[in-house]
Amino acid sequence: MTNTKFAQWAGVAMVAGLVVISHAEGPPMRDATTHEQLIPKLRQAQQNDPMKKMAVVPGADPADVYKPKDILSESDIIAFQGVATLVPKRAIILIPKNYQDRIAMLPGAKMVSWADFYVANRGWITTVEVSRTQAEGNVPLTDDTQKHLSECGNLVIATYMGGPISMLPLKEPKVPDPKAPKTTNPKTPVTTEPAKP
Amino acid sequence: MNSLIARLILVLAGTSAWTLGDTIITYTNFIRQIQQPSGVVWDMSVAATSPAGGSLSALGIEPGGARYELWTVANTTPLTNYLLDTKYVSTYIPGATVAIRTGDTTYPTIPRTRCDQPFYVDITITGLLSGATDPTASKSVNLLRYVQSYGVGGTGVGIDRNQATLLSTASIVTNGLQTLTYALTSIPGSPLTKIRGEERFSVFSIADYQAPSTQLASQFVQIWPVTDGTIAGITAGQVIRTTMPQATLTLNDLYPSSRSYAQIYKGNPVLGTVGTVVPGSNLVINDTVPSNRVLLLNNYDSVFYEDGVWTMELLTVTPFGTDRLAYVTFTLDRTIEANGTFTTNE
Repeated sequence: MTNTKFAQWAGVAMVAGLVVISHAEGPPMRDATTHEQLIPKLRQAQQNDPMKKMAVVPGADPADVYKPKDILSESDIIAFQGVATLVPKRAIILIPKNYQDRIAMLPGAKMVSWADFYVANRGWITTVEVSRTQAEGNVPLTDDTQKHLSECGNLVIATYMGGPISMLPLKEPKVPDPKAPKTTNPKTPVTTEPAKP
Repeated sequence: MNSLIARLILVLAGTSAWTLGDTIITYTNFIRQIQQPSGVVWDMSVAATSPAGGSLSALGIEPGGARYELWTVANTTPLTNYLLDTKYVSTYIPGATVAIRTGDTTYPTIPRTRCDQPFYVDITITGLLSGATDPTASKSVNLLRYVQSYGVGGTGVGIDRNQATLLSTASIVTNGLQTLTYALTSIPGSPLTKIRGEERFSVFSIADYQAPSTQLASQFVQIWPVTDGTIAGITAGQVIRTTMPQATLTLNDLYPSSRSYAQIYKGNPVLGTVGTVVPGSNLVINDTVPSNRVLLLNNYDSVFYEDGVWTMELLTVTPFGTDRLAYVTFTLDRTIEANGTFTTNE
């Protein structure tokens, strides 16, 4: 093929390529599947259900015991200035009254991770690092920590290694210990008056 | 046990955006660790810009183990959340992974397919014991299959997944990979071509004195309906003597990853023919849910290069192949014939 003829051939091929879409890839073209075609196929699929060949589970449905939880219903949403995040329930341990309206989703707010939200809202959110035993309710927060948090006037979030963590209610000691700290973990978030300037 | 640190593989981290119709949907991911049996819940700190990768969980695991959940929250109104993956880690509770493969590899976030297509469920079990003195919870796991319809026109937004129907259960007592093959979905509904919903496969541990039965792994696949379409404005057998009339292409339940168009070719309909695309009919969909479209075709005479019998087909190309949705055959007769006589007179 001469250069001129090749150029003509290539030009025609390029023009044709603009208007002809090849569907040679994948399986051959077919008419769209119909309900009637799927009836016997479904019957056969259900007869050949691979789980029928496996042993049947005795006893109750484990899903009745463990229901997959919904992260939205298991979280508190914090929103401010068009941005929102969520933390586990019981991770908020103190809500000042003037911040109560920020514990709800704002219409149209952009959901971001806790880390991004906290960076932008350090001015009114304080975090308190807790230990695993404190989160489990086995050890209370110290008096000093409680006092500091109640006076800071900020929303207080319990965190573990920077991530929000739920604080279980403090377990009551079986035998009262007179030397034990008098403070307890709040069973529900504590609401306080705004801090005085 | 307290020093045991679980390595958590981050399948997805950070934020991603997809389109739902004309709206851009942003997904924000959260990794949640639930301690057993205390129930303490901890959210791992995940950088929003972090790519997929690995991270160590800083929270030690208790004797009952810990469950890790990967959630994504879409900024719809109201908010929508999806449980993308779960893992359970403990001392002797077996490990499990569930992965679902379909013919659609274009959407990495959630496995999806069409209601007339097969899908494959890969279940891998590790750590099962078989000794006479081994704890019961270490000897087997339970596999459960759930189905849930989204209803007519539904997209799954806002559904209560606790209402899913348990279709079948089975016990797995051997380690290793096993693949379950399903020729098509068993989500209830009619007609079978219009089913939309999801199937979920979950592996649960057996309850014992240290921890309750818990979900070891779970994965779901979204099922979308078969597209249907019509060509209006041209009737079968019509003889067209002037310009081509306006044609209306109606497309329902377009697959979220699809390209649809009308093509014409000379002659009677022959399935598999590659023709010429009608100008203005090319429609590309890259979405998360099916959609409907109506296209009006005007001024497309240029593609008909001569008179004769022609066929117009409405096609849709999906990851599963090319489907013909509708076709019409007509005759084009635009040649003007002048009949007359010519005489001379001396």
